[in-house]
Amino acid sequence: MSPLPRTPLSPIGRGFSRRALLSGLAAAGAVTVAGCSSLTPGSSAAGSTASAGPVSTAVPSDPVTLTVADADDTTMTQGLLDAFRAKYPNVTFKRQYTGWDDYLKSINLTMSAATPPDIAQFTPGMQNLVPGGLLLNADGYATAYGWSSKFPGLDQITFSPDGKTVGTGSLYGVPGGLSFEGVYYNKQKAARLGLTTPAKTVDELEAMFAKAKAAGELPLVVGNLDGGLNHPFNELLSVFLAPADREAWAFGHSGASIVLPGARTAAETIQRWVTKGYISSNVNGISDNDATAAFAKGQGVFRISGNWAAAAVGKGLGDNAGYFTMPQATADAKIHTTGAGVYYCVSAKTKSAAAAAAFLDFVGSADAAPLTAKAGFMAPKADAMPSQAGLFGSLLTGWQATVRDQGLEPFIQNASTPTMSDTLTNALQQLAGGKATVDQFLALLQADFDKYHQQ
Amino acid sequence: MLDIAPAPVTAPPRARQRRRRRRRWSGLLYLAPALLLYTLFTVLPALHTAYLSFFNWDGVTLPSFAGLGNYRSVVADPELRAAAEHAGTLILFFSVLPIALGLVCAAIVARRRRRGLAVIRAVVFLPQVLPLVAVGIIWRWVYAEQGTVNQVLQAVGLGRWAQAWLGSFDWALVAVGVVGTWVVSGLCMVLFLSGTQRIDGEIYEASRVDGAGPVREFLSITVPLLRPEIAVALSITVIAALSSFDLVYITTGGGPGTTTVVPGILIYRLAFGGGAVGLASALAVVLTLVIFAVVLVITRLSRERP
Repeated sequence: MSPLPRTPLSPIGRGFSRRALLSGLAAAGAVTVAGCSSLTPGSSAAGSTASAGPVSTAVPSDPVTLTVADADDTTMTQGLLDAFRAKYPNVTFKRQYTGWDDYLKSINLTMSAATPPDIAQFTPGMQNLVPGGLLLNADGYATAYGWSSKFPGLDQITFSPDGKTVGTGSLYGVPGGLSFEGVYYNKQKAARLGLTTPAKTVDELEAMFAKAKAAGELPLVVGNLDGGLNHPFNELLSVFLAPADREAWAFGHSGASIVLPGARTAAETIQRWVTKGYISSNVNGISDNDATAAFAKGQGVFRISGNWAAAAVGKGLGDNAGYFTMPQATADAKIHTTGAGVYYCVSAKTKSAAAAAAFLDFVGSADAAPLTAKAGFMAPKADAMPSQAGLFGSLLTGWQATVRDQGLEPFIQNASTPTMSDTLTNALQQLAGGKATVDQFLALLQADFDKYHQQ
Repeated sequence: MLDIAPAPVTAPPRARQRRRRRRRWSGLLYLAPALLLYTLFTVLPALHTAYLSFFNWDGVTLPSFAGLGNYRSVVADPELRAAAEHAGTLILFFSVLPIALGLVCAAIVARRRRRGLAVIRAVVFLPQVLPLVAVGIIWRWVYAEQGTVNQVLQAVGLGRWAQAWLGSFDWALVAVGVVGTWVVSGLCMVLFLSGTQRIDGEIYEASRVDGAGPVREFLSITVPLLRPEIAVALSITVIAALSSFDLVYITTGGGPGTTTVVPGILIYRLAFGGGAVGLASALAVVLTLVIFAVVLVITRLSRERP
């Protein structure tokens, strides 16, 4: 920008050194360009859905090394790998751990590389790898091992050939540890207010909110700066929206809609809880983590969140920490709740599919359950989890009942479109801030859905 | 092109000529490491981004050529217009306010040299040294429900104004802007302080003899003579405002609703979350061109007239 004094570079003749320098620069440039094999790296094996090689449930006996990529910051993945290796000493693991944010951003490129990891933790967005044929189609192994009766939540990692529809098509992995949501409460305050827990219906829960509010307490602790209001909303969807409609929408089935009476009831409930002051009017300025921290410090009476919050709540409230599964519309209804899991999938380029599949099967075994539980997750084999007292005991009971009722339903923001998480946060902030009506709220969500699925 | 440069009228002695030639080329060699790094990590990625903007690409599968389709989408996007407006508002907080503050401070200090100038400079410059992510986290606490701002409001009896500022549809953008002012003011102040040291003290004395007061001095001497520094400050801060991302991402993430969404946030969401790398690249190219244009205008306007 600033005008430099012009100096003629070579007034006389050709400078040898200039040419040498330029060719040097050119060579360096060429190397760089050649370094990335193509300017737009992408996989061309579109539409390939065949399983790699013959399917066998026999664990190979010759030495095998499997690379594992994950973003699991608990002890679960490492514990499961160690336990599997103890059982099959010929299998060695090379684990590549990456922090969650970086993992989310880089895993699709990592899986598209020439030598990708054999096993990877599945994250939302990785279904884009399905049309490229980069994930191992696990249908064969699922049949051979009988995974459908060993794992809950398999539909969340089942994709159509174009990767856009979840819940139909082929299976691409299994869940290791699962998470599910429910209602935490402060036992001391509940006793003081004379509340009889657990609430058996949503109406009962709301009546407790009213009682708490009248006594000057904050009934439900929520933080929506980063969209944490989605936890109560997802739970209310589990209660009021028919599971088939919920899954059709969350899994991106064509023609699905969230503009349904059940979803309207859920949104109206959220809106009413805000208007009546059951949720703080500052909800949009509090982060989800800060809300958990405040509840653990003794603020408020109830908090709707997942089992990942149990450690913090238990540490903060001690014996006063209570938990019950999400109450339903009626007292005799089956449990429906929202949950997700740490899923493992396998690269289509792996040379040891049988060993990788054996590890996936091991994840759902009774041997794995205590390790998964120790890391704070719910194990696929719920009845093999060690029994516990206190808060964790209540969580375990809730989980076993959820698996028994097959009541685990997907978070709507994880599966439906790549942008749904941001859209839901935006829409919930508008709903809670009184800037959007229930109709506008549902329309915002549906617009995002239609934009992605009509392409 | 270089070969047709006019030959010198009288040829210098051979030895001198050779030496001079060597000196010219050794100059380029000194430049080479920086030039190479700059080319590798700035020029080539930028060109690559421009190239990607002509494709529909999700980042994984094979891209398909889109022509100017992504650019048409950029222009038609209503969310982008809102983002541009927010970036425009941020210019007020990132450029106008810090420069005004910086000028006033510089003028006060310039009128009478005080001791401890180095300390003042260091303190004022501190926010500039902190990583923006740390700044964002600190201000999240300051703006929180029980944060410093609300505690102060309650202490002075304005408790009914207390609220979670970053969650307010009316105040979130202003709140983010104030953080920007806090960060950038130090830079402007230091720039202007060093500028005032260049101004001859006799000019101030002369004006005082002529009966000029502090305001007159400020408008007639300090501001005109700091013109080059103001231009630099304006360029830097406007770039910071238009390309802002980290501060917004950490404090509000674009919320509540879309009240603090800026172009940087949209690019990030499209490329890393939305699987629309081509569209994100097109948006990035447009943003870069806009910034170039604005900076060009600033440089033109601030150039001293002969």
